[in-house]
Order: sequence, then C-alpha cells, then structure tokens
Amino acid sequence: MSELLAFQDAFVAALAGDGARLSPWLVSSDADAPGLAVYRNTIAKGCVDALADNFPTVRALVGEEWFTGAAVLFSRERPPEHAALLDYGAAFPAWLERFEPAADLPYLAGVAHLDRLWTEALFAAEAPVLEAAALASLPPDTLAAARVRLHPSLRLATFDAGVPGLWLSARAGDDALELGESPQTLLLIRRAGAVSSRIADDAEAAFLRACREGDALGRAAERAAEAQPTCSIASLFAGLIADGAFSGLDLDPPA
Amino acid sequence: MIPTAGLGLKSQHYDDAIICDADGLWFEVHPENYMSAGGPRLAALEAVRERHPVSLHGVGLSLAADADPDADHLRALKRLADRFEPFVVSEHLAWSTHRGAHQPDLLPFPRTRAALDRICDNVGRMQDALGRRVLVENPSLYLPLQGHALDEVDFLTALVARTGCGLLVDVNNVFVSASNLGYAAETYLDALPAEAIGEIHLAGHAPDPGGSGLLIDTHGAPVAEAVWALFERLIRRIGPRPTLIERDDDIPAFATLLAERDRAAAVLASINTAELHHV
Repeated sequence: MSELLAFQDAFVAALAGDGARLSPWLVSSDADAPGLAVYRNTIAKGCVDALADNFPTVRALVGEEWFTGAAVLFSRERPPEHAALLDYGAAFPAWLERFEPAADLPYLAGVAHLDRLWTEALFAAEAPVLEAAALASLPPDTLAAARVRLHPSLRLATFDAGVPGLWLSARAGDDALELGESPQTLLLIRRAGAVSSRIADDAEAAFLRACREGDALGRAAERAAEAQPTCSIASLFAGLIADGAFSGLDLDPPA
Repeated sequence: MIPTAGLGLKSQHYDDAIICDADGLWFEVHPENYMSAGGPRLAALEAVRERHPVSLHGVGLSLAADADPDADHLRALKRLADRFEPFVVSEHLAWSTHRGAHQPDLLPFPRTRAALDRICDNVGRMQDALGRRVLVENPSLYLPLQGHALDEVDFLTALVARTGCGLLVDVNNVFVSASNLGYAAETYLDALPAEAIGEIHLAGHAPDPGGSGLLIDTHGAPVAEAVWALFERLIRRIGPRPTLIERDDDIPAFATLLAERDRAAAVLASINTAELHHV
C-alpha cells in the first residue's frame, strides 16, 4: 500500500474516532487534535445540509434537532458515494424505516420517499411536452394504437395509507396534519422548471402505469376503466396532457 | 469584456445576477451543484452565462486521493465545460473521496514526493479529459502533519512545472493556514510563481467556536481587513487577476456582496501595470 493511501485510511479512521493510526503523521501527540474536529464538523455539516435540502418535509415534521441527529447517524453509515450532493440520500427513506427512534412515526419513511421523488423530478432530464393539439387530427383508431412517452420527470407513488395527503399538507405548511386511512397515489411532474404534485385517482394511476409498461393508449384506457369504472377517459387524458405528463407520441405502425 | 472581480453565484441571487451589468463582473459555480440531467439550476446558469463570463470551481474531484479521478465525475465536468464554456476551470489541492465514500470537505495529506507524482498524474488526467489547462487552489489547513518533503509553495510550483497547470490563490486560505500552522502569510504569497497565478479568491473566516484558537474558513462573513491587505500586496507584485468574492454561509443581499466585489474591482483597477514590482 502507498503511504498516501495508508495516510488516508488512517485519516478516515481518525475522523470516525480512532485517532491512534494517524499518530505517526501528527505533530502533536494529542490524537484528538482540534484540527481533526474541524474536518469532522465540516464533513458532518456538508452531509446534514445536503440532506436538509433534499428532505425538507421530513425536517419540517420532526424538527431541526431530531433531523440533524438522524442525518449525522445516516451520513456515518451511508456517506455520499460521489461529490454531487444534490443526489445525496437515495438510501435515506429505507434507512429511516429501520431507524428505531422513528418507530412511532410510521409515515416518516414514506414522507422521505416522496421528498426523494420530488428531487428526482426536479433534476430529471429535459424533454418536450406533448400538447393536445398534436392529437387533434388523429383518427380514433390511430390514437388507440398509439403509445405515449412519459415525461422523464414524472414520478408516481402509491401508499396503503394517506401519506401523499399528509406530505402535501406538510409541504403547504399546514399545521393540522392527518394520516388518512385509504390508499393514495401521488403524481409529481416538473413543468417550466418547477415540480408540481397532486393526488392522482385510481384511474389515472392505472393509466400512467399502463403507459409506462408500454401499453397502447386503447389498452391503457381499458386498464383505467378496470381500476375505476366510472372514470371519463377523455377528461382523464386531457388532464394528464395539461399536467405535462407526456413528452411524445409514437404511432403504431410508425407514420 | 475582460473579467475583473466576480462573485460566487448563489441560487437565491439568480435573478439579480442575470440583470446586473457591473463592468467586468463574472460568476463562479461549483460544477457539482449542476451535475444533473436537467432542471431549473442548469436553466438559470444558462441565463447567467448569456450575460456574464462563468468559471467552474470544482470541490469534489479529489485530486490528492491515491486513486484516479472518478471517470463519471470527469465526464460530467466535461459536459458542463462544453455547455457553459467557462473562462477558468479549477480544483483543489486536497482529497475528499476515499474507497468509494465521499467526504464533503477538502482534506490534507503529507506532501511527499510520491504524493506529488500521484497528484501530477491526476491533474494531467483532468487536463487531458477537459482538453484544457486547469488551476489548482491552495487549501485551508487545520492540522499540523509530519512527513512533508516539500512546503506547500514548492509543492504547487513543482505541480505547475510538471503539469502545465496554473494556480488559483485563495488569499483567505493562506491567511487561515498561516495562522493555524504558524507561518508567515506574506512569505508564502511572495514565493508563489507569479506567471502561474490565474485567479484569486477572497472570503471571510471566523475563530473556531469550540475555542481551539484555530481560524476556520467559513465563507460566512465579509473578507477580513488583513486579507484585503494581503490581496493588495499580492497583486501589486503580480498584477491584476480575476478575483472572486466567495460567500457560502449567512448569505447577505446581492447588493451587499456586489459592494464587496466592487472593492476588489477597485483594488484591481488601482494597479498601474507599468509600475509592477519585479516578480
């Protein structure tokens, strides 16, 4: 092993509290030199600040002190894998689910998951937005055989209990937060640089999942109707187009 | 337009930055904050870039790690450099990535001959990947280490000679490190190779709230008067260079930062290049 690597191994061990291995390189005999604490604090602050940016709803629900404590523990177990911290915390929702002090907050991991999807939507690739006018001249059979491409920023998450409603209320700054008992699906889409989010009904969720799995629009409409027989496919489709849910249309066979 | 004094670009100041027309104004960003597939930050940087020169100042390539620079990171940096055409690309004489984990800080190392070889290789890889010269910045130091074969100025001078890179001199880092490790900031600055210096950083620092007596490079306060004095001394010797006010914490209104930036621009403009001290 090179001396540089041996030093870096020892430095990382010292950051984690085991200063003995670093002592051959230290001028001071004090293995807990104050300079090490400066590096340790800067690293912890960098990780906590990144997680606070990426999980604002979790932080709002549990408060700064609780959040910081959890974020410090998480960052020690799961440090960032690369320098682009805007992506940090993909593992945080699952970690919170196993985090003992969060046991009496059963919705917290779900809230973290929705914060993560919001970040993914914000930084997803750019793509054009399919406009209703592009479909206006298509005969019904052609439209039924066509496939839509979902916008790269579109995210969809379904929960057994009403985590999406709670997340939306917390995000809006409401004080009265309630966890509904029915399943809910949240739909997130970035449009004109901002992420919008709303509850999607069962028909919309079934329709979007069918599109994501590559079904033609006719089949996607059938699956939406199976999920929610009372739904109006025309207004459902028009609403999703207005949301910016689609980035393009592929005719079958290609025109 | 020739870039004179610039500001670190903060997301809360995007709109102010786009419309500001101060002469010589430029903006610097950490490329790591823009390494996304898409989204509003990239769009805002695009709008800033349409009006102002931009530099990319990396904080995460980990040039002093005993490992090759991360290939994905280099590719992402190249994409940003191709898209935004920065007038400067820079990184730090420090490491942050170790065995797959990234520590968001600029960490020190013993400046041995072997470390110099490794860092020369890494700077060479960075310059090859980008197809351009880069600047390397002196870090803030907090921990006295044994085993240095070269002092920092000699190390940086050798790095310049062997790789063709330039230097980004952070005058506040020189002040903080000199105070923390017990050497003279003036001696350090006077010994730097003038022709290699392509950019200067100025920032604020603060005493360690833990009471250790260390100074911490917080980027959370105005530039200290002692640092302004060192800055003037440096540019009186080397001539004007693009100079950046860095502020990353406790961020004031754009106008407040712009006033600090104007002070740096006035210092740069006050230098009569015909009467420069011989370097």
